[in-house]
Amino acid sequence: MAYTKEQIQDMIRQEAKKALASGEVSAVVGWTSTRFADKTKPFFAETEAECDLLVWNEYCVNGTAKYALDDRYPEKKLAVIARGCDSRAINRLIQDKQVKRENLYIIGVPCDGKDNPICKECQHKNPLTFDVLVGEEVEEQINADRFAEVLAFEKLTPDERYDYWAKQYDKCIHCYACRNACPACNCIECYADQYRTGWQGKAADREQNQVYGLTRVFHVGDRCIECGECERVCPMDLPIMRQTRKMLKDINDLFGDYECGMPNDSKPVLGEYKLEDPDEFM
Amino acid sequence: MSVKKDNNWEPVILAFCCNWCTYTGADLAGLNRMKYPENVRVIRVPCSSRVNPQFIIRAFQKGADGVLVCGCHPGDCHYATGNYYTRRRFMLMKRLLEYNGIDPKRFQAKWISGSEAAKFRDTVIQVSAEIKALGPNTKFVGTYAPQTATEGGQE
Repeated sequence: MAYTKEQIQDMIRQEAKKALASGEVSAVVGWTSTRFADKTKPFFAETEAECDLLVWNEYCVNGTAKYALDDRYPEKKLAVIARGCDSRAINRLIQDKQVKRENLYIIGVPCDGKDNPICKECQHKNPLTFDVLVGEEVEEQINADRFAEVLAFEKLTPDERYDYWAKQYDKCIHCYACRNACPACNCIECYADQYRTGWQGKAADREQNQVYGLTRVFHVGDRCIECGECERVCPMDLPIMRQTRKMLKDINDLFGDYECGMPNDSKPVLGEYKLEDPDEFM
Repeated sequence: MSVKKDNNWEPVILAFCCNWCTYTGADLAGLNRMKYPENVRVIRVPCSSRVNPQFIIRAFQKGADGVLVCGCHPGDCHYATGNYYTRRRFMLMKRLLEYNGIDPKRFQAKWISGSEAAKFRDTVIQVSAEIKALGPNTKFVGTYAPQTATEGGQE
């Protein structure tokens, strides 16, 4: 029997209270309601009373994985409520040695898709790594084609493709929201903030946005867990995942099937090599 | 400012050459008095994996019509593994640029060893001819690019 959203919400609150009562956990990261019915916000529950403010509904869209990097509770573990995408992001952070597994307590929640278009192509609704699982596992979508959009776009002519992206980059306002929301973007100091190096100009014009857009793809493309946070937070609605997924598709074509954030200790594709990689530069 | 496409137009090709193989190869080509097109501007880098994908976007923005990245053959890298990373990186970069509308001929990578002066010459001749056939690059050209660069001859 499948649980209702209210039952899962109750179970999440129970698990959060249990975790806090155990004394090992200093806070539970989840979502809480806002004054808008269709919005939730990330929330750190630090006391048992605050655990009753945690919610679970189709508007819990924010990724919680990035809060695993929060270092305001150095002495105890941090509990994170993780959906499938969050657990993959946490795996990636562990593999990148940004956070230690033993410093996290992961409350896994199978997710049946949120109010976010990218969830239609979700490959892992069930958390892959967790200490305790709330509710029961849901069925995975095996037929979702995550590269359909990229394949369709590749069929356009080069000029159409360039004009399309030029138009998109003209819209970009250079707010770095995509970077701030991305769990793969976890450098302590981003190259774009190092203004003295001249890597990244500050002007929000096409030239600087193209550099930023393509560099961003290269920085995160091989570690992208396809949570779609970049696209969701973009105030100008740029199709950012269409660019990143192109790189993921090429990685799959060239270097074998690759999915990021699996519970193993894989390295990012651009951080390693194989002698038998295809070679087209002879 | 309009750019006339006439027969005098010469492309600007930027070549990132690895210090240990291709730069030596280009040097050898010079020592042997080999003739190759003067469109190519060689930039010496310590290793082909020194070349950041961002360099290539910036090169196009600042007026290059083509970019060439050259390094040691796989297995010959002075730093043992650098060019294996280059290989992965630029196979992806090439496809990403193509996806963004750049002709794949405008960005090429080649392995040229220190003794392959003739291969360096042939590569430059071939790339130069291909880019000449394509005409001036109009994509990714930035607002701050030197206006004369698209006409060639900007030194």
